[in-house]
Amino acid sequence: MKKFLSVFLALVMALSLASFASAEETLPTFDQLVWGENADLTANITFAYHRTDIPDKLNGYITEFQKTYPNVSITYDLVTDYAESALLRVGTANWTIMGIPQVDVDELPTYFIPLGSLDVLSQQYRFMSGKAYNGVCYGMPSTGNANGIVYNKAVFAAAGVTELPRTPDEFIAALKLIKENTDAIPLYTNYAAGWTMGAWDEYIGGSATGSSSFYNRDLPHMKDPFSDHGNGTYPYAVYKILFDAVKEGLIEEDYTTTDWEGCKGMINNGKIGCMVLGSWAYTQMRDAGEHGEDIGYMAFPITIDGKQYAPAGGDYNFGINVQASYEEKLASLYYIKFLTEQSGFAYSEGGVPIDMNGEFPELYAAFDGIDLVEQLPAVAGEETLLGNLNAESELNLNAGGNTKVQEIIEHAFNGDKSFDDIMADWNEAWSDAQESLGVTVNE
Amino acid sequence: MSTAASPLLRRRNKKINWQKVALIVTFSAVPLFLLILFTYVPFAKMLKFSFYNMSYTKNKGYVGFDNYLKIFSKEEYVQAMLLSLYYMAGAVVQLSLALFFATLLTSGLKGSGIFKGIIFFPFLVNGIAIGYIFKFFYTRGFVLDTVLQAIGFPLESLPYWLRDKAVNNWSLVFTSVWKYCGQNMVLFIGAIASIDPTLYEAATIDGANKWQQFKAIILPGIKTVFMLNLILSITGSLSAFEPAYVVGSMGANGTATFFIKIHQMAHVNQKVGMACAMAMVLMVLILIFTAAQRLFFRYVMKDSENTFNGKANQAKALW
Repeated sequence: MKKFLSVFLALVMALSLASFASAEETLPTFDQLVWGENADLTANITFAYHRTDIPDKLNGYITEFQKTYPNVSITYDLVTDYAESALLRVGTANWTIMGIPQVDVDELPTYFIPLGSLDVLSQQYRFMSGKAYNGVCYGMPSTGNANGIVYNKAVFAAAGVTELPRTPDEFIAALKLIKENTDAIPLYTNYAAGWTMGAWDEYIGGSATGSSSFYNRDLPHMKDPFSDHGNGTYPYAVYKILFDAVKEGLIEEDYTTTDWEGCKGMINNGKIGCMVLGSWAYTQMRDAGEHGEDIGYMAFPITIDGKQYAPAGGDYNFGINVQASYEEKLASLYYIKFLTEQSGFAYSEGGVPIDMNGEFPELYAAFDGIDLVEQLPAVAGEETLLGNLNAESELNLNAGGNTKVQEIIEHAFNGDKSFDDIMADWNEAWSDAQESLGVTVNE
Repeated sequence: MSTAASPLLRRRNKKINWQKVALIVTFSAVPLFLLILFTYVPFAKMLKFSFYNMSYTKNKGYVGFDNYLKIFSKEEYVQAMLLSLYYMAGAVVQLSLALFFATLLTSGLKGSGIFKGIIFFPFLVNGIAIGYIFKFFYTRGFVLDTVLQAIGFPLESLPYWLRDKAVNNWSLVFTSVWKYCGQNMVLFIGAIASIDPTLYEAATIDGANKWQQFKAIILPGIKTVFMLNLILSITGSLSAFEPAYVVGSMGANGTATFFIKIHQMAHVNQKVGMACAMAMVLMVLILIFTAAQRLFFRYVMKDSENTFNGKANQAKALW
């Protein structure tokens, strides 16, 4: 496999070098695009994407799009292990549009065409800073997520939880009530799927601190970011909830055999109380059975000075290949514009609309009075710092670091390590990484 | 041959040689090219990458032996290597079972074809599919628990096969044994079938019982294949991946083998240089183990070969 990869990589590099040649007409920026212009545009577009679960819906968008641009043909290339395979493909010419994988921000211009300036685009669209570099946007978010906890209202009601928990203690108390008064699993961890565990990292920024500078600006310079602040906030509080839930037996009996596809039906049918997943999960849980109306969505149970926050941000961003032809790029721009403004994709996926004029879906009903926190991009010169620290410390916060969260469950269950010791280890890993990369640490 | 014909012959010889050369070149060019392109060039690249701090898309500079030093300074990697011991223990069981079945099935048992098929079948199933089968097999209250309950074990006394750290690696090893046992067995059967049947006859006349026949005829007769199987199993144990990745949820709960650590290093941590260094270490380990086995067996099997030849000659002489 590795041998294969390195040859593949060599080919990728050769190809990407070979194709930076021809001078082209200037493309319009995303805000300059006028829908309906250039209707005779002819192009073939290959769209690499991860939503293997909704091919019909996506193909429906193509049909709709072709009513205006009949000569543009689009093929979706849907991949299951998208996050990994897209990284290997990103430098090739065999795609036109793709969901931008985890490449460092300073590499975005190498692979994707600029869509316009961040200042201009963010007046019209949400979450544009996610794939921006030097004030230029390279990706258009497919949909936005505001993250909290997906739960079953009927289970919460049957357990006697009348008000949604707002602090870690209230949350654990609610889980205990579910355990006592119902047959449902209070908190289903989805340990075995892996990425569902890494999803907990999402909450340590917006939810736990309420700060929009936490991830990209504060965290890299923070001394011991996993220390206990004593008031149920900061990353410590987030992971403590998981640890305590496991220790108190408030999760599924055998976490090693959890079943991701199966959990959707289980929460729908009231066999699960809640799961810590992004808002994108809401529609999937709602549609997985006959009790869709029972599914609700609430903010993560951390309150800072009386206020609750929800981390929000773009889902996968659409980027256009720099190696594509002029016509392909232009057609891709139109298609992305269509997806963002006309398809209703974000709304139907339960997402926060990207278009400022878009409508919020009903699931955010419980988010009234809760502030959405979008993480600001890193300051100039530090764009790759968080990525480097993540790699060096191997904690991979919000970047596929599933193993470390799984280990919290293992230690909590086996009782072989205290929570404070785990956090101390993480602090040490973070400090070591800061030291070896020569990062200034704020005391 | 007459002397008059010799210049002609020489010329013809030359021609034939050219033809030979052309043949050899044309026949070997393609596989050689493929071998170099897909094995040696990537290998050289991997060796080079192992001295760099790099991700798939970015090279952050030469770091010398740093990557290698890190591997041995971190306890978790050494621990991952030690996990191979479980799989090696499994390999011993696997080979013994395979040899047992092979001997049994070549002894003229009724319906041996069907049994061969049944035992070999798991090897034909895709490793990922096997992973999912076993995931359900080990889930609480599913297949394994049901079977064990049916024969009288109360559910409370049974462990959680994948959750309890005392048993979970053995559960994974079992899936591997289940899959590869059939392959080993078929190889053994092939080897046993090639033993001259007159030897058994002679041995029987000689008064040797089945066990003695096994020891003196079958075992030495399948020496080469035995070695092959052993090397395959041990290298397989060192680079175990599928069971821990699929059944063990990507190496969670202390089941991450060294191979999984390499995968995580390259694809989660994006440290391709480090992953290449780990792959090199794994390769060296495999080379060491293979060499050690060869040496060991050259030593041990020498004796048995002598006995085998001695016995065989003796038997033949008697016959």
